[in-house]
Amino acid sequence: MSDDRTAILLLTQEIAQFLYTEAELLDERRHDEWLALLADDIRYWMPMRRNIKYGDTAREFTRETEDVSWFDEGKDTLTRRVRQLQTGIHWAEEPQSRISHMITNVQLLSVTPDEVVAKSRFLIYRNRVETETDLLVGKREDTLRRAGDGWQIARRKIILDQNVLLTKNLTFFF
Amino acid sequence: MPAIRTRGYHSGLVDLTSGLISREIFVNEEIYAQEQERVFARSWLFVGHESQIPNPGDFFSSRMGEESVIMCRDRAGAVHVFLNSCRHRGMKVCRYDDGNAAVFTCPYHGWSYGTDGALVGVPFFREAYRSELDRSKYGLIEVAQLCCYKGMVWATWDAAAPPFLEYLGEFRRFLDLILDGWDGREGQAEVLGGVQKWVIPCNWKFPAENFSGDTYHNISHRSVDLVGAGPSGRSRRDYGELNAARKLHVAIPDRGHQTITYVTPKDHVAQGAYQNSPEVAEYFRECEEQRRKRPGAISRLIGAPGEIFPNVALLPRQPRTLAVWHPVSAHQTEVWRFFFVDRDAPRAVKNFLRDYYIRYSGPAGMTEQDDMENWNYAHAASRGVVARRYPYTYEMGMGHAVENWEWEGYRMPGRVVDLTQAQASEEPMRNLYRRWAEFMDAESWDELMPWRNGAAAEAAKAAE
Amino acid sequence: MAEWGSGGGSEGGGMSGIVNVRDLPVGARVVLGSGVEVEIVSNPGDGVWVFGRYLSAANGDPATVGTEEMIFAQDVVEVRG
Repeated sequence: MSDDRTAILLLTQEIAQFLYTEAELLDERRHDEWLALLADDIRYWMPMRRNIKYGDTAREFTRETEDVSWFDEGKDTLTRRVRQLQTGIHWAEEPQSRISHMITNVQLLSVTPDEVVAKSRFLIYRNRVETETDLLVGKREDTLRRAGDGWQIARRKIILDQNVLLTKNLTFFF
Repeated sequence: MPAIRTRGYHSGLVDLTSGLISREIFVNEEIYAQEQERVFARSWLFVGHESQIPNPGDFFSSRMGEESVIMCRDRAGAVHVFLNSCRHRGMKVCRYDDGNAAVFTCPYHGWSYGTDGALVGVPFFREAYRSELDRSKYGLIEVAQLCCYKGMVWATWDAAAPPFLEYLGEFRRFLDLILDGWDGREGQAEVLGGVQKWVIPCNWKFPAENFSGDTYHNISHRSVDLVGAGPSGRSRRDYGELNAARKLHVAIPDRGHQTITYVTPKDHVAQGAYQNSPEVAEYFRECEEQRRKRPGAISRLIGAPGEIFPNVALLPRQPRTLAVWHPVSAHQTEVWRFFFVDRDAPRAVKNFLRDYYIRYSGPAGMTEQDDMENWNYAHAASRGVVARRYPYTYEMGMGHAVENWEWEGYRMPGRVVDLTQAQASEEPMRNLYRRWAEFMDAESWDELMPWRNGAAAEAAKAAE
Repeated sequence: MAEWGSGGGSEGGGMSGIVNVRDLPVGARVVLGSGVEVEIVSNPGDGVWVFGRYLSAANGDPATVGTEEMIFAQDVVEVRG
């Protein structure tokens, strides 16, 4: 195998390990450590999806910074969300949800010396109180930026495979 | 307060002499089924906004009650609302969220309808139908009445319903608050692209009564207040601008609309709001100054949560949003949330507001999330046979509403509770459910318009 | 009900002689099952109907030439350019 191919395989695995570590932090509710993985200028965007005709993909997603989306925010708001969880009186998370993020299909879309664009798929399983259960499935496109020996998330676009949202709230992170 | 007429099925479920309302109205599936006929098939319902369908052929798929409807603009520019169902065998003729179409075509047998609802295409009309089908009878089913008010599209299936503005009555000034410009110019609102739609596991009346004017539930939102998600980085909205104002509950009797509202002093100067952005803060300060100079109600009112009967929640300010609580079942509601800005507001202002709106409201809204949790489990805990024996209490502030309220020259219509000291009351909820019970009991709109029949009819009603 | 689809695109005939009218451009000329030639004047893009102008006589009636009609997809059997 060529050196280039080997390097890509190793990098893909490195990125995957980073994403698994991130998922672990979220599932373990270690939100401050998770925030440290986010670049200060992160954009975190989850567009809404329309039902469209075949070929009309330009209209499928609500537009970043133009339309209303599910999330379209930066680190300040994400931090406030974490702080809200940490108050212990965010009733939507009292009691706390049980959650697992399953990350899969990790592929690198582009690689530059400082940044990698990685695509992955997620299955988030959330269970709360007695029988409340949500399954959310979709894709993520992440821009990951080198930070020291590791990585930070500079941009996350979350593509949820739903039109009408089938969960009552989004008190967790994708 | 006059006793509500109670008879038959609904006897005792809504008792406004005691202020007790049965849990049955929230969890009982028979009552829910009756609501679809008695409430949703007869009321005026919000369908959409004209800014969503600016051009001929534009359409937006919406809902009225449980049913799918198409709001569209025909080739001549007129707005229509149709039931989204082919007249032949029922298939939805439009399954896209929005767009532009010359015709709505059914994929089952190919029947096709113009944007004015006319049946224009019937395959094999000459051969199979032998030209005998009367196509004029089979256009898309159109609402009985439609009203475009300052861009908002309202519709009803009931031809006997009063015209929309009469239905609205004196609540109109509160609806104007969300539709008029920040500076008071009439009808400046546009809907931001993207309508949030999501499902919540509770009866639609939980959110409806909350937005009718629940000023008692700040503890629900303590966590968002603590972290300061508001537009000035504090709390969840700019309360500073409300400090000098009188906080009121206003219930429009006989209509079932009610709201929280604020009346500012006569010579009020706007306090600093939207402090997170100097540009936005200055924009709103300027708008407020313009608004104060205008004559009429608009200059003294600051908008707050309110509800138009049955299921439209208005919040004209911080955030500026409207929600429709669509019934799905007794135990489930589908929320559609629309967000408004002034169409000619600067880009930076629209961006700022959009950021604020979606972190406040909706399923990712730090405020709305806690409301929904309460509604979810209030409903769940009320489904059991024992729970249903114990009514909810709506006794707060009973008997303390006044009419002809006035302050520094501002006269408020309807029944008013001054909350400046009281903090909270349940007058708006009582008003909502009185109207709800009237709809459930009434055989037709003839019984639902006491204001048309004068004092004699009122006296007869009270004597029942 | 057809066992095979049109096999893609709006080229005449497809795999089984079925035409997908969805993307037929304005100006395209098609032939109906009756042999009548029609020019597409507008296309709602629903794959079920097109609006056409008769280039040859429909139902043997010369007066139909030049008139416009809604054409049902099943009636279109060939795309002629």
